[in-house]
Amino acid sequence: MKLKATLLGAAAILAMAGAAFAERGSDGHVNVLYWQAPSILNPYLSGGTKDLESSSLILEPLAGFDEKGALFPRLATEIPTVENGGLAKDLTSITWKLKPDLKWSDGTPVTSADVKFSYDYCKAPDGGCAQASKYEGIKSVETPDATTVVVTFDAPKPNPYLAFVGATSPIIQKAQFEKCLGAAAPTCTEANNGPIGTGPFKVVSFKTNDTVELEANPNYRDPAKPAFATMTLKGGGDAEAAARAVMETGEFDYAWNTQVNPELQTQMTAGGKGHFVNGFGTLVERIEMNLTDPSSDLPEGERSTVKHPHPILSDINVRKALSMAIDRQALVDVGYGTAGQPTCNLVPAPEAYASDNTGCLKQDMAGAKKLLDDAGWKPGADGIREKDGKKLHILFQTSVNPVRQDFQSLIKSWWTDLGVDVELKSVDASVFFGGDAGSPDTFQKFYADVEMYANNFDGTDPEAYLAGYKCDKIPSPATQWQGENINRFCNADYDKLAAEMSATADIAKRGELAKKMNDMLTKDSMTIVPLVDRGRLSATSNTLGGVVLNVWDSELWNAQDWTRTK
Amino acid sequence: MLTYALRRLLLAIPTLLLISLVIFLLVDLAPGSPMSEIPLTVPPEVRLKMIAAMGADQPVFVRYVLWLRQFFWVEPMHQVDLLFGSHIVEGQQRIISYQTRGPVFTVIGERIPQTLTVIGTAYLVGVLIAVPIGIYSAYRQYSWFDQLGTFIAMLGYSVPTFFTGVLMIVIFAIKLHWFPSIYNTSLKVTDWASLLAQIRQMALPVLVLSLFNAAEISRYTRSSMLENLGQDYVRTARAKGMGEGTVVLKHVLRNSLIPVVTVIALGIPGIFGGAIITENVFKVNGIGAALIGAIHANDLPMVQTLTFIFAVLIVVFNLIADILYGVLDPRIRYD
Amino acid sequence: MLPMLRPRGRTMMLDAPAPALVQVRDLKMYFPIHTGVLRRHTGDVKAVDGVSFDIMAGETLGLVGESGCGKSTVGRALIRLYEPTAGSVRIAGDDILSLAPEALRRKRPEMQMVFQDPQASLNPRMTLAQIIGEPLIEHSGLNPTDRLARIYELMDQTGLNRRFANRYPHEFSGGQRQRIGIARALALNPKFIVCDEPIAALDVSIQAQVVNLLEDLQDRLGLTYLFISHDLSMVRHIADRVAVMYLGRIAELSPRDALYARPLHPYAEALLSAVPEPDPDREGSRQRIILQGDVPSPANPPTGCAFCTRCPKVMEICTTTRPILAEVEPGRQVACHLYPSEARSNQPNSRHAAPSGSTGGGSSQHQQHGV
Ligand SMILES: Nc1ncnc2c1ncn2[C@@H]1O[C@H](COP(=O)(O)OP(=O)(O)OP(=O)(O)O)[C@@H](O)[C@H]1O
Ligand code: SF4
Ligand SMILES: [Mg+2]
Repeated sequence: MKLKATLLGAAAILAMAGAAFAERGSDGHVNVLYWQAPSILNPYLSGGTKDLESSSLILEPLAGFDEKGALFPRLATEIPTVENGGLAKDLTSITWKLKPDLKWSDGTPVTSADVKFSYDYCKAPDGGCAQASKYEGIKSVETPDATTVVVTFDAPKPNPYLAFVGATSPIIQKAQFEKCLGAAAPTCTEANNGPIGTGPFKVVSFKTNDTVELEANPNYRDPAKPAFATMTLKGGGDAEAAARAVMETGEFDYAWNTQVNPELQTQMTAGGKGHFVNGFGTLVERIEMNLTDPSSDLPEGERSTVKHPHPILSDINVRKALSMAIDRQALVDVGYGTAGQPTCNLVPAPEAYASDNTGCLKQDMAGAKKLLDDAGWKPGADGIREKDGKKLHILFQTSVNPVRQDFQSLIKSWWTDLGVDVELKSVDASVFFGGDAGSPDTFQKFYADVEMYANNFDGTDPEAYLAGYKCDKIPSPATQWQGENINRFCNADYDKLAAEMSATADIAKRGELAKKMNDMLTKDSMTIVPLVDRGRLSATSNTLGGVVLNVWDSELWNAQDWTRTK
Repeated sequence: MLTYALRRLLLAIPTLLLISLVIFLLVDLAPGSPMSEIPLTVPPEVRLKMIAAMGADQPVFVRYVLWLRQFFWVEPMHQVDLLFGSHIVEGQQRIISYQTRGPVFTVIGERIPQTLTVIGTAYLVGVLIAVPIGIYSAYRQYSWFDQLGTFIAMLGYSVPTFFTGVLMIVIFAIKLHWFPSIYNTSLKVTDWASLLAQIRQMALPVLVLSLFNAAEISRYTRSSMLENLGQDYVRTARAKGMGEGTVVLKHVLRNSLIPVVTVIALGIPGIFGGAIITENVFKVNGIGAALIGAIHANDLPMVQTLTFIFAVLIVVFNLIADILYGVLDPRIRYD
Repeated sequence: MLPMLRPRGRTMMLDAPAPALVQVRDLKMYFPIHTGVLRRHTGDVKAVDGVSFDIMAGETLGLVGESGCGKSTVGRALIRLYEPTAGSVRIAGDDILSLAPEALRRKRPEMQMVFQDPQASLNPRMTLAQIIGEPLIEHSGLNPTDRLARIYELMDQTGLNRRFANRYPHEFSGGQRQRIGIARALALNPKFIVCDEPIAALDVSIQAQVVNLLEDLQDRLGLTYLFISHDLSMVRHIADRVAVMYLGRIAELSPRDALYARPLHPYAEALLSAVPEPDPDREGSRQRIILQGDVPSPANPPTGCAFCTRCPKVMEICTTTRPILAEVEPGRQVACHLYPSEARSNQPNSRHAAPSGSTGGGSSQHQQHGV
């Protein structure tokens, strides 16, 4: 017994020693594939995921999110809370402490001035900072000493962990970007493509939309990390080719966002060179109902505005019936396989904010028909239901994307069965999501009855996301069709809840509010019909250790812990 | 000849300006926005500011004139400044890509090397195999060699490169593991091992593209050779008692190459244009991939600049082809 | 008609029994016809179908006939610019058709050709000096200075200005180009020259100059010509003997004056009836014979006499039995059943179209070269 324990202990020590004595750079080279290649390594100038995640290897925020969505300190010593005194009781200021002796990859010390500069950089007028929303509501950022940063808010901030938290809001080096403020930002190509950072890697060379060559940051704060001496981050091609390069040819160790159809997933896994990793965040494929009338008979400027409620979708029974007729599991099987799961929620995660609403998961065609019958929508001679001379005719639009077109035709068949006449339309993604106020085909203009796309929120807090459905966020000609309230949903109670949430710090209470708001949008009103909670699906080589897929922050959040296992 | 070339170039200027305007308007009118790739998590107000920072909210003619100025004045003078250390256009904005927020010409500079190595090699290899095949096919018209050549040329010409490319990858990269499926643009050739790696990664795209190029050029060579082989002067050469080698390679080939050389010259702008499909299939990330990426991202300055450069190259190589024709064929004189 | 032609001041030594310089026996040149997707061999264009004749050293044999009858093909096959299907050709003692490629190449200087189209026959990318000089480099072993001297000499001989040495063919007039063609043919001191309609592409005024040049050269250099033409007047002027061809075969081969005075073969008669008479009396009484019908396709010639489909004097035997070329009068050979001859047996389609010797005799010698 004793001997066994000793042996086990020795083994444990050995194992730990292995880890503890691992040297920086001892594992050679690692190849990472982002089929959408980074265009720039400055996240403040680009909102693109590929750019954010690539730069997260180099630039770090004060704190990040782990795979469970929990905050953990990166450059900060600890997460400031009311308990530890870092967060003011009235929620109007937060004080961050930098780890001691932090160095930039060029060897110079990281100071609070760099943190403040990052804020100034994004706030500079005419810079077009993509992350400006992270720094909203900040009155000042002060630096009482070299390692202390005090952020003061205009008003109590229940979620103070926006600025300097997560890959979207990292710290950049003042010395490097000082001359690049505002309109001068694009002139600093060298800095934008090769930022000096504190992360595990530093840029050796950057080729736009092609390849980033990186090497271990010699000044990384953990002297044993990263295990890889060099990294190539390559771009180009498509998701399928990227998956093959890891799963079948073994040329790459890690490939991002390898969303391929379920059949291919199985086939590639059989290759034996790698495996898929998935994680579920907040990305929800949903159908949005237009509560206003998109009819082309209306004068331009009045289509899809609150002036004209939708003739048929204003009836909640129709919306409910449409949702009930959908078999969400079938959609998952067809489109996503292991990378998706059916959901009834707009906010499917994190746990604290996710409602337990599962009512929609089972398709109920009979119930849906009955609901319409009872509501007076009776099938006409042509089998299309009608009421008061209004026919259930629906124009269903989405972006051009094979999975979405599969979904469209499946849903059309269910709705046709229900007695609804469905017309399908697909718009090129660059137009649909382009936000061009001059185009009739943007998802914001919503010149259709229902539309399907996916959206999510950044980080773990849904406050801003849910606030997007307030009355004042309705896109209209007056706002150049900008605004997140795509459905033109407007409910005073909802707005009240949103206001309450913005003033509530207590996590439990916030969760309660979020769930309530989620339910108002989904199961109570079926304004939003969630379909699939879309996970991230990435491919990793069997010889790459330490990969933990994180959907709350950059996928490359823990590249410093990656190792070669064989 | 010189005056002819100059006159042609002068005449090309209004054409090119018109082309540039047409491209600009086409790209601008095409639906889509540079913001379409930005995730929806970025709020609308921020998007508007980003567009403003790019200058993409300006009226189209303002942007066009600005682009003209940047293309014809700022960019060339920037090169001058770099070369001579002068400060002519210091601080003036160069053509900035919406995607990278950096100068378009930096991207082009990064992309040219791999395009030239891969696509250029493919073209060269294509020409080098096409011309002898064309010669021999014509010399032995209707032989099995010629029939085989015709068949392969037909395949090369009619089967699209995205098909042959993917097929090659599946066979040689995925099943056999002989060649990589993804091109490494940062590979530097320093020793035998890296040279071998370079050759291996170039093998498949070069094979696919050169098959395609060779198909066209070998057909041209063949028909041009056939046309000349039947000419009396070939009989004259034989009657002179010249050896078959001299007859075919000196008399027939030299005359046959005149149209072939011009076709080859006209194909050269295509090298710079990159092979959009092949580059994407093999992830070569050259100019072609940059163009298609820019089109997807609605990166107007990049699309405009690239397409305009292609237009200029096409005009220039047309002129070069004409001049070459004059040089090679004494019957043609430009005076 | 041809005012600028000089009268022929040359007399042939017709009675000297010298061996023929060129001996052609039963020459056949079939061009295969391929049809269908698989390009199967389905037939032959019998462009030359069993032609035999001799040309004596220093003689000019005229070869006349309608367009497409195979004149050029005979000329080219003769000096092996085509690979003939069958037959034999001896030029200055060598069996041309059986020479190995290298031997043939070395034999080429002796037999040359002046082409119908002077423009097409000159390589457009070579200068005059290169065109004339190329065979010299290949065959003569002259050093560059001597070579240039020889080029100038040839240019002088053919009446080309020395200044033109570095010009390209397209920079010359048609007549000058034909002079280049002739200069080139002469470069290697040939014995025998096939002149394939050397004047057909030229202006009438220039035709005379070129013909005069050819005659001059013949006198000076002792050349032997096969002079192909469909210009019967010109042939009458230049040739010593004339062969009339029809559909790949020789219909009649006779001394010039005899032929023009009294053609024996019905086809020759019809053909010559179209020639204007220099003598106004006879011109008045000239009767043009208009032939009916079209020339049959050489891919599918009639059985028996090739001319039987159009011959005004056709007889029954003509459609079944091919008349062979045989001497019917001294020095005159005719392939026609109208003229019985001891050589013309009743064998149908005789392959032994052995001609009797030309006027000078030597026929016994020829027999052994027959197929
Ligand atoms: N290379 C060839 N392939 C097939 N047929 C040929 C070829 N050369 C000639 N012929 C055919 O052979 C026949 C004789 O042609 P040839 O050129 O010898 O006629 P020709 O008497 O010289 O006519 P012309 O007076 O028009 O020059 C013609 O029917 C022609 O179509
Ligand atoms: S053989 Fe008969 S057909 Fe032929 S030319 Fe003589 S007569 Fe006429
Ligand atoms: Mg001819």
